Amino acid sequence: MSRGLETGAFDQAFWLGVLARADALEVKAFTDGLLPALEPLGLEVLENRTGLVMLPSTDTAKGSRFHLGEVLASESRVRLAGVEGYAVCLGRDLEHSLAVAILDAALQTGLEIELIQTFVRQQAEKLEAADQALLRRVEQTRVEMETF
Amino acid sequence: MAYVATRGGERAIQSAEALYRWLNRQYDPGFVRDLETHLPYLLDRVMGEGSLWAPELAALAVAQTGGDLYEAVLLLRAYRSTQPRIAYAEPIDSGSMLTVRRISAAFKDIPGGQILGPTLDYSHRVLHLQNSAKPDQSLESPENARSGALATIPYVADWHRQTGLMQPLKPDPTPPAEIPDLTRDPLLFPAPRAQRLQALARSDTGGVLALGYANMRGYGGIHPTVNEVRLAYAQVQVKHPVTGAVFSAGRVRYSQAEVVTKFKTGADGKPALELGFAATLGWNEVKLIAASMLDTAMDLPEPHPAHTEEFVLSHTEPVESSGFCIHYKLPHYVTFGSDLDALRKARAQAESNEREGVG
Repeated sequence: MSRGLETGAFDQAFWLGVLARADALEVKAFTDGLLPALEPLGLEVLENRTGLVMLPSTDTAKGSRFHLGEVLASESRVRLAGVEGYAVCLGRDLEHSLAVAILDAALQTGLEIELIQTFVRQQAEKLEAADQALLRRVEQTRVEMETF
Repeated sequence: MAYVATRGGERAIQSAEALYRWLNRQYDPGFVRDLETHLPYLLDRVMGEGSLWAPELAALAVAQTGGDLYEAVLLLRAYRSTQPRIAYAEPIDSGSMLTVRRISAAFKDIPGGQILGPTLDYSHRVLHLQNSAKPDQSLESPENARSGALATIPYVADWHRQTGLMQPLKPDPTPPAEIPDLTRDPLLFPAPRAQRLQALARSDTGGVLALGYANMRGYGGIHPTVNEVRLAYAQVQVKHPVTGAVFSAGRVRYSQAEVVTKFKTGADGKPALELGFAATLGWNEVKLIAASMLDTAMDLPEPHPAHTEEFVLSHTEPVESSGFCIHYKLPHYVTFGSDLDALRKARAQAESNEREGVG
C-alpha cells in the first residue's frame, strides 16, 4: 500500500517511497523537464553509486531478528540550493535514484512544489491501483475449509 | 610440496570457454529480460541462495552460465562482494508486507482466512504440449473479487499467542547493524539463532530438502504440521540519513514458513505449542517447509546425527558445498601420486615379505 493516500499525508517518507517504486522512465523524464528551472539554483551531485542494503526479518517462532540477505540498490545524494536530497531505489539504475534525490531536495526546498506534488500523487495512484488490482485477484483465491 | 604446470594452458582454457559459449549459443539483453519476466521462481532460488536480491543480475547469471544454478549463485555471491553496504533496512514484519498467499495446514479457521494466492498446488501436472508449437493460449486473466484482500494479514502464531496456545514473544531490540551476520562473522557452533536463520535463508534448496525429507521419513524425532506458509512482497525500508525519515526503497518477494510440533513445556511450566521457522528472499516453499522442520529438529536434546546444527548448516551452504565438490576434478596429480608411492612401497614390502616367508 502507498502510505499517505489513505491519510492524505504528503511527507518525505511518502514521496520517497512512491518515487522509488514508480516507473523509472517516467520519473527521469519528469525530472529532466524540471532541470532548466532547478540547475541555476545550484545543483551538486554528492553521491551516486550502487550498493547493498542488508534486509533483516523477524523470526515468528522465537522472536529473533536475523539477516535475510542483501538487496542491490542505487543511492544518490545531491545538494540543491543548499538543501540535501537523498534517495535509495532498488536495482542499479543510477539515473533513477539521482532523479528522486533531486525531487527530494526540491520538495524540501519548496521549489516547483505543486508540479512535483501532482506528479507524485499521480504515481501513487497508479501504484495503489496496481496493488488493489492484485489484491482483488488474491481475494478471489480465498477458500473456506470444512471438516467432514 | 610440489606443483604441476600445464603447457598450452592459456590457449586451451580460452578455447574451452569459447566452446562452452558456442554450444550454448549467444544470449542477448532481450533473453535476459525474458528470463526475468517468465522464470521468477528460478531467479528467486538463485537470489535466495545467492543472498542477494537483484532480479536483473540473477537473470544475467542464469543466462551466462547456461542455467547451471550453482555457477549462477556463485556469480551473484562474487558480485555482492564487490559492492559496499550502504544501509541496513528495518526488519520485515507483518505490517510491512503485502501478502498474496497465506495458508495453514494445522488450523482451518485462522484470522484473515486461507488464501491460496498464486499456486499450482491444486493443478493437474500435465504438460501443455500445445504450447510447444504456438504461443500459450491458456493465459487467462484471473477473476477479480469486488473488493481486495487485506494487504496485511496477521500471523497465525500471533493468534496462538493471543489464545494462550503458545508462549508470548519477547521483542528483539537488537539494532539491525548489530544483528549477528554470517557475511562478516564466522559460523561457530552452537550458532546464534540469527546466524542459524540467516544460514537457512541462503541455504541450498536441494540440500535442505534432502536433510528435511530424511527427517520427514523418520530419521528424526519430530512429526510437525505446517502452521503457516506465506508469500508476500516485503518493503525494504531505509532511513534518510539527514532527516531520519523511514521510507520504502521498493519491494522484494519474500516467503516464510512455520511448522508446529507437539506440546512442549513453556517457561511458565504449562504445555504449549512449539514452532520451527524459516524465511528467505524470493518465493521458495519447499525449501522453507524443509528448513523450518530442520529448525525444530536441530533443537531436540539428542537430534539425529544428520540433523545437528553443525551438520545441517555446514552441509547446506551451496557455494561451499558445490565448490568443494567440483574442486575434486582439478589436478590432484601430486597428492594422488604420493598415495601411489605409498601403495607401491606397501606392495613391494608385501612381496618382499612373501619371498622371505615373513607374516
